[in-house]
Amino acid sequence: MTKTVRYLLIVVVSIWTLAPVAWMVSLSFKGPTEWYAPNLIPIQPIFDNYISLFIPTNPIGGSYFFTSITEPITKPVINSLIAAGLGTIFAVLIGFLAAYGVSRYRAGGTFIIFFTLLTRMLPGATFVAPLMVFYASIHFIDTYAGLILLYTAVTLTYAIWLMKGFIDEIPPEWEEAALLEGASPWTVLRKITIPLTKGGLAASALFIFILNWSEFLFALVISVTEVTTLPVQISKYVSAVGRMYGTMASLGLVATIPSLALGYLIQKHLVTGFTFGRVR
Amino acid sequence: MPKLVVKNLRKLFGTFEAVKDVGFQVEEKETLCLLGPSGCGKTTTLRIIAGLEVPTSGQVFVDGVLVNDVPPQKRQIGLVFQDYAIFPHLSVFENIAYGLRVRKMPEAQLRTKVHDTASLIGVDNILDVPGRKLGLSEMQRVAIGRSIVLDPKLLLLDEPLSNIDAKARERMRAELGKLQKEIGIATVYVTHDQLEAMTLADRIAVMRNGLIEQIGTTSEIYDNPRTLFVGNFIGSPSMNLIDCELVYSEERAILKSGDFALDVTEFAETLRAKSKGRELVLGVRPEDVSVHVRKTDEEAMECEVQLVEPIGARSIYHLKIGRLAVLAKGYAMPEVDVGSKLWTTFNKHKLHVFDKKTEEAIV
Repeated sequence: MTKTVRYLLIVVVSIWTLAPVAWMVSLSFKGPTEWYAPNLIPIQPIFDNYISLFIPTNPIGGSYFFTSITEPITKPVINSLIAAGLGTIFAVLIGFLAAYGVSRYRAGGTFIIFFTLLTRMLPGATFVAPLMVFYASIHFIDTYAGLILLYTAVTLTYAIWLMKGFIDEIPPEWEEAALLEGASPWTVLRKITIPLTKGGLAASALFIFILNWSEFLFALVISVTEVTTLPVQISKYVSAVGRMYGTMASLGLVATIPSLALGYLIQKHLVTGFTFGRVR
Repeated sequence: MPKLVVKNLRKLFGTFEAVKDVGFQVEEKETLCLLGPSGCGKTTTLRIIAGLEVPTSGQVFVDGVLVNDVPPQKRQIGLVFQDYAIFPHLSVFENIAYGLRVRKMPEAQLRTKVHDTASLIGVDNILDVPGRKLGLSEMQRVAIGRSIVLDPKLLLLDEPLSNIDAKARERMRAELGKLQKEIGIATVYVTHDQLEAMTLADRIAVMRNGLIEQIGTTSEIYDNPRTLFVGNFIGSPSMNLIDCELVYSEERAILKSGDFALDVTEFAETLRAKSKGRELVLGVRPEDVSVHVRKTDEEAMECEVQLVEPIGARSIYHLKIGRLAVLAKGYAMPEVDVGSKLWTTFNKHKLHVFDKKTEEAIV
């Protein structure tokens, strides 16, 4: 009985989370005449939506759409990879050191660590306008540096809090033992702390990458033409006759690939990362 | 030259004074035990010696050199942690080799050294096992091996047996003692277990509230406790302590507590000279309380048996002398049971008298 209930729950949750994805898949293979139709299986499946990602002038299901997009999606893909990737790397690096300081040396006392969280309690929309003015004055608008700096800053809080938890799990005795063996504090960090927390680091990195990868608001404001990221690109598939839902869905699907791939690559570490404390 | 000298050590954590004024020295090949209840500052003292804590004031000398400003990685001190801190992601071999690798020792030399140490501590058959798969006794050995492979000037052990169940502890204590003899390094051993201290240490420093109450060999500490605390803390079952008052009657000095009275005329001089107040505490170890079925001695006191705990050839008798509860440890007497009336005498040569206010020993 309980088993049936459990399976039922799993089915319900799966439908709940996968239904939008299924709809997106369906939409990406539909022509413009079916975009508003309620059928899940396309009546006339086409690949035009995917082709138009690379050839913007390609007709979809026989009809032409005229948009502001003239280039293939390769550039936004590269932009997203650079901005989200570097933003994640910096956030994880800086966040790890900050978390280590907070965890081991109580750096900044209890106030600083709480204060970093406080900055995330503010909705992004409230500081997007002043940020734009500030960025304009230092010529950071439409630059990689601007996006990367912002992504690092915004996700740093999560990086610190997540990784502090993982570092707290490591008994300081392991580090002290290595110290007494003659290792310098940096060697201890490299040879003891990081290998022991790598599951947690991987989980944190993936989480932060997903946040950066799917970020829309800041990217929309900061990018003009040069550093357009994928989420912004998706919003640009609007023609004179309305939104190009099929193309948006196809790009949305393409955009999930890197996150999925990253998650799959570090799957082994994720399991230890999420069940930390039991691996000791 | 002593291997380790600790002078006037003091450590504050915020406003809490964990170590107040600790000083001692450890000679070559000697094992000194810091013994005390939890929170007495013994582990803090050890961590200061290792360099893991910075003392508020005071000095630590290793081999005659002041090491206060030497970081832990340069002190050449081995430390075995309470839960051993074996690196879980490294094999036994790599755990032992860790410090040598940090020092960039050539591979061939490193292998010889690790293998020598491994056979000394008896882990040469499990060198490939990862740290997280080791049992407690293996971890203990590896932890010691990891510390001694670097030929430290000093070995520190922080309650290495406290996480182990009683049965295994006995065996590991014996093994540890044997290893210690073979290694022969000056050692500071921290424990709250007096039995461990007495079996493993050459000298014991009994600590309480951040101070050393008494430092000396096992027998000195056991036979001549300098304070009430030391007398009470050392020994199992612990010393009988009886609050009493010194009174004189007809040329005789008597320790009186309710109906209980003990003639101590032989110590009257010392008592009169040293005691400040009249309130005293009489201390007598259970093995110095003897019980007899018949009244064999004029001074024997009548008592009633409340409980008998047989411990093999001997028994612990819980006695009531009047209203006073006293423990006695003596040969098992099968005929004695709860409610039996017996006669008891105290061994006058082994009596301890403490001043109740200052807690210092008078006799």
